[in-house]
Amino acid sequence: MQRARQRVRPEPSSPSRTRPGELPTVTRSKSVGRDDLEAFRDGDPAGVRALYQTYGRLVDAVAHRVLGSHELAEEATQQTFVRAWQASDRIDVGRDPAAWLATIAKRNAIDIYRREARRPKRALDDVAADDPALVTLPPDLGALDAAWRVRRAIDELPGDEATVVRLQHLDGLTQQEIADKLGLALGTVKSRAHRAHQRLAAALGHLREAPA
Amino acid sequence: MNDLELLDELLAHPSTWVEPPPDLEDVVVWAVVDAAAAAPRIAPAAAHRRRRRGASLFAVAAALVAALAVGAAVLGGGAATADYQGNLSATGLAPGAHGSVAITHTAAGFRVRLDARGLPPLGDRELYQAWLKDAAGTLVPIGTFSSSNDRVTLWSGVSPHDFPTLTITIEPIDNNQASSGQRVLMGDVHRR
Repeated sequence: MQRARQRVRPEPSSPSRTRPGELPTVTRSKSVGRDDLEAFRDGDPAGVRALYQTYGRLVDAVAHRVLGSHELAEEATQQTFVRAWQASDRIDVGRDPAAWLATIAKRNAIDIYRREARRPKRALDDVAADDPALVTLPPDLGALDAAWRVRRAIDELPGDEATVVRLQHLDGLTQQEIADKLGLALGTVKSRAHRAHQRLAAALGHLREAPA
Repeated sequence: MNDLELLDELLAHPSTWVEPPPDLEDVVVWAVVDAAAAAPRIAPAAAHRRRRRGASLFAVAAALVAALAVGAAVLGGGAATADYQGNLSATGLAPGAHGSVAITHTAAGFRVRLDARGLPPLGDRELYQAWLKDAAGTLVPIGTFSSSNDRVTLWSGVSPHDFPTLTITIEPIDNNQASSGQRVLMGDVHRR
């Protein structure tokens, strides 16, 4: 990952908008079909909603990875779907649109990153610590492909397994601490973690392949 | 970085686990619907027929018009980009509160995306109310909400250009529609 212009390295903003004390959950995505894609192409709200419900979390995660702020990521997510509609006469409704939408999402997030980096600079003290102009160069497209694939694989995990993976990797808890936090037997946590990592390994394959 | 290290790094990165706010779905849906209404695309079937006919002068002209329309929609960005933003500061009634606001001009009015944190808890039969205020002190209510620590979407029928001060008050639920004056957050918004 490039960090050539790094001057300030803040803690990344909180991953969720859940309330303090809430147990983290990962919501699984729905699937999108030919009818949904045709409705999206027609600008039908039901089609837009179906595409968002399937891919909105992925788009938001990639945008967040590039931009590092909830507000900019939400703007990027909104723009991505508008641009996808503007280009939707090129959708093949018989195929999974994930790779096509991933390309739009990555490029759009990087466009916003560059726009923010071009904004007139104020005194350093007045600039938010997570301002993308201060923090990093945007990740390369290969790293964003991997981010998209990992998030998609997580979305496809059963919710209880995703929760264990999150607590283990994001929160840095031991399996015993996870068991205590969730009120589960240690053996249950171990088996969920084992199954989750097997599923992730199977779903991800080689990370540098084209996004699924 | 090998694949295993990359996987570890991604699983430990907050962005991998981020969950968009619930109201983003509606924001996205209506942004696309607005864009579709403002700049209808050429129907795919027509585009295919035109490609079969080859690059006639008419087709080139139509493509130029379509490209300009799409370009204007992207550059205009009215539905997709906040037009005004600002930070909100605590008042003496709620010293721990803070917030920010992003306002987008849409065909339906001004969509106000408010992120208010650390508001004091509400009592029974109370709610938070947001207002926009102009230089003369005229207050326009733009919506009510009840969460002390969340993002909410409100709508305004007046422009923040003319009403640039946003305040949040605590209001009793009664028949009095005037502001209680119990301000817990306030700040000015500015064009981006």
